[in-house]
Amino acid sequence: MFSYNFKYELKLLLRSKWIQLLSIILLLLFGFSAYNGKEKVIKREADITAAKNEVKENDQMMLQLLDSVEKGMQVSVSRWTIPTSPMVIGNYYPRVAAMQPQAMTFIATGQSDIFTHYVKPKVTGDDFALNFTEMTSPVQLLFGSFDLSFVIVYLLPLLIIAFSYNVLSSEKESGSLRLLASQPIRVQDWVSQKLFLRFFWLSLLIILSLCLTFLIFGIEWFSVFNSFLSLVAIILAYMLFWFALAFLVNLWVGDSAKNAISLLGLWVLFVLLAPSVLNQLSTTLYPMPSRTLMINEMRELKAEVSKKQDKILDNFLRDHPEYAINDTTQTRGFYHRYMASQQLVKQELNPVLTGYENQLQKQQAWLEKLKWISPAITVQESLNKMAGASTGDYEHFRKQVVDFAETWRSFLTPFLYNNKDFTQKDYSALPQFIFQPKPKSSQFVVSGILLIVSMLLFGVGFVLSKKVKEEMMLKPF
Amino acid sequence: MITTNNLTKIYKDQTALDHLNLQVNAGEIYCLLGANGAGKTTTINLLLGFIEPTSGSAFINDLDVSQKAKETKKFLAYIPENLMLYPSLTAVENLDYFSGIAGKKLSKKNIFNFLKEAGLQEDAFEKRIATFSKGMRQKVGIAIALAKDAKVLLLDEPTSGLDPKASNEFGQLLHKLSQKGVATLMATHDLFRAKEVATRIGIMKDGQLKEEFIAKDISLLNLEQNYLNTMEYKEVTL
Repeated sequence: MFSYNFKYELKLLLRSKWIQLLSIILLLLFGFSAYNGKEKVIKREADITAAKNEVKENDQMMLQLLDSVEKGMQVSVSRWTIPTSPMVIGNYYPRVAAMQPQAMTFIATGQSDIFTHYVKPKVTGDDFALNFTEMTSPVQLLFGSFDLSFVIVYLLPLLIIAFSYNVLSSEKESGSLRLLASQPIRVQDWVSQKLFLRFFWLSLLIILSLCLTFLIFGIEWFSVFNSFLSLVAIILAYMLFWFALAFLVNLWVGDSAKNAISLLGLWVLFVLLAPSVLNQLSTTLYPMPSRTLMINEMRELKAEVSKKQDKILDNFLRDHPEYAINDTTQTRGFYHRYMASQQLVKQELNPVLTGYENQLQKQQAWLEKLKWISPAITVQESLNKMAGASTGDYEHFRKQVVDFAETWRSFLTPFLYNNKDFTQKDYSALPQFIFQPKPKSSQFVVSGILLIVSMLLFGVGFVLSKKVKEEMMLKPF
Repeated sequence: MITTNNLTKIYKDQTALDHLNLQVNAGEIYCLLGANGAGKTTTINLLLGFIEPTSGSAFINDLDVSQKAKETKKFLAYIPENLMLYPSLTAVENLDYFSGIAGKKLSKKNIFNFLKEAGLQEDAFEKRIATFSKGMRQKVGIAIALAKDAKVLLLDEPTSGLDPKASNEFGQLLHKLSQKGVATLMATHDLFRAKEVATRIGIMKDGQLKEEFIAKDISLLNLEQNYLNTMEYKEVTL
């Protein structure tokens, strides 16, 4: 039966123009979404390059100023911007800590429209107040990003529903099912074969469309072969899940209209409702401390410590005798007191910050556990991870930036407390931020689990359909 | 070939078929007459294994339909009132597909021969079914039965809606099949066609087989009178 179904299903799909229509739709969707994704990547790269170029230009200016100062020449800049001061270097000549896009970044916007891709940590800045969030167009936030992950997670199930909702019911409605059922076959086997073949042809079209899209946009899929395979595997597993649902609905529901409504209901449940409910629950169960309150607390603390900065500085120097030994002039200025008090503010705020991070981690852990409720969440998260745009990826970047901010401060603080000037010679030793992408966890596991779930659904369909006599399938609506 | 023993089907409080005992032998054409709801289609559905009997049993080629529904379908062919084939496939493709899924692999030459034997004109072989009349579709249905080498043919109102010529051609095809030893059970309203093609004729009412005749022993007029009497219609003077 399979070879005949294989041969004639293709003929029927070609003659009903399904294959042609799907090819055009997939190419348009993949092409447009990949174009959108690539545009974002290009803009991101351009932003980072512009920021780095600005740093380069500033550095040139800084080296010229240092050269002039070191040669004893007069410089026509304000006193507080002369780069011999380590605090001027730390605040006016920061490095760019950038999160470079990766080869597959274009497939999912993920968290990238919420978080920024580069920051310039300053020596007097507060780590938690680093501006990691980025305000984007409210219109874009309203409608979301039309990227490949949107096409895969949201639109692909709709195409599958349109392609499979009436596999059995159309035969029933046209009357050909009775003729089919009079052949020595099981209707359940026939339906599953028809759906498998539709899955096969749709998969083939998707793989071809993906390869073509990658080629058109200059992404050499063979150079990111593992990621490409991973992407294909997750798409196929997700598709199989929707075909398994279509199989169950075809066997049990009834006429084409009811099948379509039932499958659309499942789409709303898995793609829209489940992610929204989980998100609401996570914020209700693990509410985030107010960022405004945290900033207020910081300001109050700073106001408090500024009143007793001399005492704080004394305590600080007592704790850091190395600075006192090296400092021959014992000159103490604003920054000496500020940096010492900032250290104290940081220590005092540590519990609040830790609480903030802990709640975020609890939310993430909770969502991680419950993501399996909806394959749409699982697939979206996997695609975000593949694109390097997941919450985890941005958290990984944030931690690297915080570490770098500390390195930046630690490099310049000894200059400050030793009352040592920053010179041209020190320039090459300035710390540089090198972004390390989060190691990628294999998404084949997710595909495997989705595959098992889909197979279980097919299994349930086969087992329970034995109890549903063909009588049920053949009775008129 | 076709045997039913006290075959009964009850839907909730309605008896659709009431202890039907029927025997159709190889080469026989048995026509079941009766009004709508008499139990003709229920009998065919039970023989096809589409529905489960409430009691009694049905046999096709000595195989119990309830026990071995899939096996029995290897020996039977079925032509419903409106034979719906795949409209976007040609006659050749439809025959190849339905024979193929039934386990019969046919060469193009065989397909052509079966379609020719079923009386379909040659220029229609490669045309899509969407362009076919009902009579032409019935011929493809007969070709499917021929290709399947069916021992039993179940027909549900096959001539309704056919013009007299097509109906006559269909009757001749049934004769041809009966000569090959096919046992045919045909549910119909068409008394004339039943008298023309049948070996035996049964009249059903309220799920029961009320009367049975040898077709050659009864005139069309008597058959009609018996039918009307069974249905308890008032006598009509022509």
